[in-house]
Amino acid sequence: MKKGKKFLVVVFLTLIACAFLLNACAKKEEEKEGVVYKLGLSLAITGPTSDAGNPYSKGVEDYFNYVNDTKMLGNDTIECIIKDDQYKTDITKRNFEDFLSNGIVLYLNYSTGSTLALKKDFDEEKIPTIPASFHAGNLVDSSYIFLPIASYSEQTVGLAEYVVNNHQGDMAKVAMFIHPSAFGRGPVEDLQKAVEAGLKMDIIEVVEHGKDLDNTAMLQRLLSKNVQYVICHTVQSPVATLLTDAERLGIAAKSFGESGKLTFLGVHYTGGNDLIALAGAASESFLWTTSYVLTSEPGKWTDKQLDLAKKYNRDDKTANSHNYTNGIMVAQVAAEVILRAKDKGLEITRDNLYKELLAMNGGNAFEPGSTVGPVTYSETDRAGVDQLQLYVVKDGVFTAVGSTFQSEYIKKIK
Amino acid sequence: MSANRWLATGNFFSTYQEEQRIFFTHSDRTIFSIFLVLIFVWPILFPLSNKYMLVIDNTLIAIIAIIGLNLLTGFAGLISIGHAAFVGIGAYTIASFCTLIGEDHMLITHAWPLLILISGGVGAFFGAIVGLPAMRLKHLYLAIATLSFQMIFIWTIQFMDFFNQGQTISVGRVYWIFGKVSRDQHYLFWYYAILVFIVVLGFMVRNLLRTKYGRCLTAVRDNDRAADAMGMHPGFTKVYAFGLAGFMAGIAGALHAYLYRGVGFESFTLNESITYLAMAIVGGLGTLPGSFLGPAAIKALDLLVEYFAANVASLMPSSQDVATGLRPLVFGLVIVLFLMFEPRGIANWWRIVRSYFKLWPFRY
Repeated sequence: MKKGKKFLVVVFLTLIACAFLLNACAKKEEEKEGVVYKLGLSLAITGPTSDAGNPYSKGVEDYFNYVNDTKMLGNDTIECIIKDDQYKTDITKRNFEDFLSNGIVLYLNYSTGSTLALKKDFDEEKIPTIPASFHAGNLVDSSYIFLPIASYSEQTVGLAEYVVNNHQGDMAKVAMFIHPSAFGRGPVEDLQKAVEAGLKMDIIEVVEHGKDLDNTAMLQRLLSKNVQYVICHTVQSPVATLLTDAERLGIAAKSFGESGKLTFLGVHYTGGNDLIALAGAASESFLWTTSYVLTSEPGKWTDKQLDLAKKYNRDDKTANSHNYTNGIMVAQVAAEVILRAKDKGLEITRDNLYKELLAMNGGNAFEPGSTVGPVTYSETDRAGVDQLQLYVVKDGVFTAVGSTFQSEYIKKIK
Repeated sequence: MSANRWLATGNFFSTYQEEQRIFFTHSDRTIFSIFLVLIFVWPILFPLSNKYMLVIDNTLIAIIAIIGLNLLTGFAGLISIGHAAFVGIGAYTIASFCTLIGEDHMLITHAWPLLILISGGVGAFFGAIVGLPAMRLKHLYLAIATLSFQMIFIWTIQFMDFFNQGQTISVGRVYWIFGKVSRDQHYLFWYYAILVFIVVLGFMVRNLLRTKYGRCLTAVRDNDRAADAMGMHPGFTKVYAFGLAGFMAGIAGALHAYLYRGVGFESFTLNESITYLAMAIVGGLGTLPGSFLGPAAIKALDLLVEYFAANVASLMPSSQDVATGLRPLVFGLVIVLFLMFEPRGIANWWRIVRSYFKLWPFRY
């Protein structure tokens, strides 16, 4: 037989073998017998904000694997399709359409920009959506978006209340250091409304940071205006630059409200271990609020989180990231509503999951363990965890300050 | 002229008019007509999922934008690295109407063809304004001027309350003769709408290139002093080239706004401008087929690389980060290799294929 013919026969036989193998695999899949519930997650695994998106996606992935591996839903399984959108809304939209054609029953989104852009699609498709963005504007003119925790506005106003309650002397003078986007600007107006509603503080300046590598001039300007507190709402790296510069200039307060110096505070995405890694010793005394339990505060949940990370071979950085916790918590909520609907004998549909989410309140509130309070949703409240915890960097780790709290003024200005 | 109007082998032009014809043979016209029918009919015969229709619609919009950029950079030789801003002007014209009169106002939902044309007009106006420095600037200096426009555009959008500081401004669902276009029909409807714009604009540009105004563009690109000496007005030609590119970009932007049912600044950044430039170069600068082939190739490549990354990630879950990180790397590498080995763009392949059939059965 000629060489060419031999080659063709080998190729032909290989193809047949592959076909048999694939067929066998497919049959094995069928034998599992369980129902597969499809979910979709589109987020920035690469590109801007991927430092948060990456551990977040791992949290989601690991928890759903855990649900399937431990047969939490019996023979039924959750298949969460995770796609990178590089923080680009156009790609998010494409991913979302792809997920819909795959028959997803619940959607997990990521950025503020894409959540706002796809808001109408969520409503038209009647698909419950849990984004990683806690922007209060996500909830305006929308019925199907559920924030995992208190909004950025609530966190910012909560921090401002902490400042007012603990400040000594005349009116507290505050500056805001925000991300130049919808995400960053969201809470500014709400804080101004809180001030108008009676919160006794002066907002001296709102600084939208650029890509500055040095904040000396800005920090000196704030000091010259007698600013004492800087509330940050952005991502970690600009805050790290800010803190490093303040430390170098010797104007960072070593204790809360130290006179003639600046006390820095920040909301969810400004803090975490990445901030400490970036700013080092300059992050000492930085005050931060979030609704998540941190692994630096050992407890029942943190052991569970670290075990989960170990089970799925995650490195220490991921295992201890609050964004990993964030991803786990969102997956916990998704798995919980599926479980609840299943227990009631309901078919797992978008509509039933939506109803289950809305019923998650009162005695039905969900305690995931990964947060400092229960997850509650209703027709009028679509922000999950209302409790906030204040943390401060002490000896290179975030340590809880006092007990959990809720913003009072946010209720007044709503 | 060849005796056989169906299979004319080689060039047989005896007058300039013959050389300027849109279709050289009956075969050309027939094949084009069949192609046109096919592109209108295939979505009904082989319906695709919304994801793919969105990709196709997006590619078609990019084709309109690239026709404009190719007129400017390919035919008139004026580099623009602010083309996404011109597309943004079109999109934000629609967004401005939505802000002023409401996204569900009849003008937005019923008179959308008119609004798309108005957006083109606004794009042309801004194009001509930005083109004014082209009377004094050339080459890299002009590129920097267009870059400045790109920066100013983004800055304006991000900081003006009127434009919602770059946050998404929603655009209402449109109506046509059978009523409101539903979500199910949305992508198919816009496929046809965009296609109509492409066919009309494609013929317009093809005709323009046959006129003295079209030849002026090439003449100014090749040697503006010589063009001046021959009675052309290089300054006016450059401004009008920018105006034309702005018009096309404005139309593309308005279609983008309607397709995505919202306008946010992220779709019109410098990154997008560079992608548009890559599309024009990969397609083939100074060729009309290149304006169609470039966007199609780049969008298809983007999708292919996405599949590649997804498959690597599913085979080796622990290396998902590497796989997704590889995406921009592979994308960039393919473009660089392509430019190294085919600098004249895909349009050159098209030319070779056409030449082969034109000369057939002879080899040369």
